[in-house]
Amino acid sequence: MSSLKELQDLIHEKYGIDPSKLDPHASMRETGGLDSLALAEFLFAIEDHFGITMPDEDASIDTLAELAQLVDKVRAAKTA
Amino acid sequence: MNHTVAVTGLGVVAPHGDEPGALFQALLQGRSAIGPVFPELPKPAAAATAAFDESRWFTKLQLAGVDRVSQLAVAAADMAMRDAGLAAGHTDTDIDPERIGVFSGCGMGGAAALEAAYRGNGRVSPLTIPAFMPNAPAAHVAMRQGVQGPVLTYSVACASSSAAIAEAAKAVQRGEVDIAIAGGSEALIVPGVVVAWQAMQTLATFQPGEAAGAVRPFAADRSGFALGEGAAFLILESAERARARGARSYATLAGWGLSSDATHLTKPDAPGQARALRAALRQAGLQPRDVGYCNAHGTATRIGDVVERNALADVWGDDLDALRVSSTKALHGHLLGAAGAIEALITVLALHHRQLPPNAHCAEIDPACQMNLVAPGDTAAPSLAAAISNSFAFGGTNSVLLFRRPD
Repeated sequence: MSSLKELQDLIHEKYGIDPSKLDPHASMRETGGLDSLALAEFLFAIEDHFGITMPDEDASIDTLAELAQLVDKVRAAKTA
Repeated sequence: MNHTVAVTGLGVVAPHGDEPGALFQALLQGRSAIGPVFPELPKPAAAATAAFDESRWFTKLQLAGVDRVSQLAVAAADMAMRDAGLAAGHTDTDIDPERIGVFSGCGMGGAAALEAAYRGNGRVSPLTIPAFMPNAPAAHVAMRQGVQGPVLTYSVACASSSAAIAEAAKAVQRGEVDIAIAGGSEALIVPGVVVAWQAMQTLATFQPGEAAGAVRPFAADRSGFALGEGAAFLILESAERARARGARSYATLAGWGLSSDATHLTKPDAPGQARALRAALRQAGLQPRDVGYCNAHGTATRIGDVVERNALADVWGDDLDALRVSSTKALHGHLLGAAGAIEALITVLALHHRQLPPNAHCAEIDPACQMNLVAPGDTAAPSLAAAISNSFAFGGTNSVLLFRRPD
């Protein structure tokens, strides 16, 4: 299970950023233009979308691929 | 030295649209923007909402954590800067960003953000606070325009943006800033705020289908105001600077008066208002008879209109009949923290066009409010040379702005 596609769709829907414009391995802050506030709001939207609670300690996450990995982990833990 | 303060740009997002000329025409024609809102509420509610396409000013990403109250401010301030020929990278390339200031009024802040937090069933956006804080509109204007000088928010209820404009004028007059972006914004047409105002017993009552004419300032049958939303900004700069860069000057902000009633939190006080009126006249070096038009605070509450009339009568004395008066709140609603700014803008346009917006919906004047109200159809004012805009707030703060035709 990878959440990457859904995250790409979500970021497109929410912020109008086309998946082709944001390399999953590029910095969302530097390449995607998401500042800390937009990222905080995006994490909130992710929680709503997947019905999960994101852990607080992962402020270091910088790419969509890393974020997808974390979402996968949280979703797996939820269904386990 | 003291600089003369010129108004060189106007920008507005109002219930009548976002074009100052169209707004003014709508007012001259007596078109009301007030209509019913939130039919689900137990008591009928009316308000004047602004049609606003945020995508003209923001990408979806830029909207993260930006409440409507800030969106309206960014749009109105941007249009004001463009109107003054000062849009970023446009002409006047020698502007020092540290010598530009934002002086903005806001009564409440991001009401929609707060309402969403209360109604979210425990799910609260992490950006609720930055969206809600009352100084967010000024901060967003500063970021959009690259303003690095003083960026200040004045929260003085209904006088917020009038006081902000007065403070901005002071800063320009003293040479503390070269350009002031001065005005305010308010966007609180959400159910929670509307019911709170209903509970205060200050909103106009109306029969079904008659919301548009619900607000009747100075009329015998008045029953209060309707809430409005919007933003308005004036660009202020010294007359020398405006002349040097060939800018159009709509008006001179010649005087301003700030006073406090210091008597009651919500009950207005004629002597307090008269002090602000006299201070504005004194600063402008004018006599009451020199002022031809007053855009009244005129909230159409039972007590407020009488008190304002008494304050004007006290200061104008035998010249009261020469002062033509109207409250445009009958048509655009009460914009609270943005009221002073939109009404200042309307007053400037009245001087500029030498036409006066009528005091609408007043079939029969309250004898206790006897004044020379601007009648619909009698809007010409060919010799108008000076005009005032009154803003009198809950909390007892009074602010009067006095504009003159530019020299």
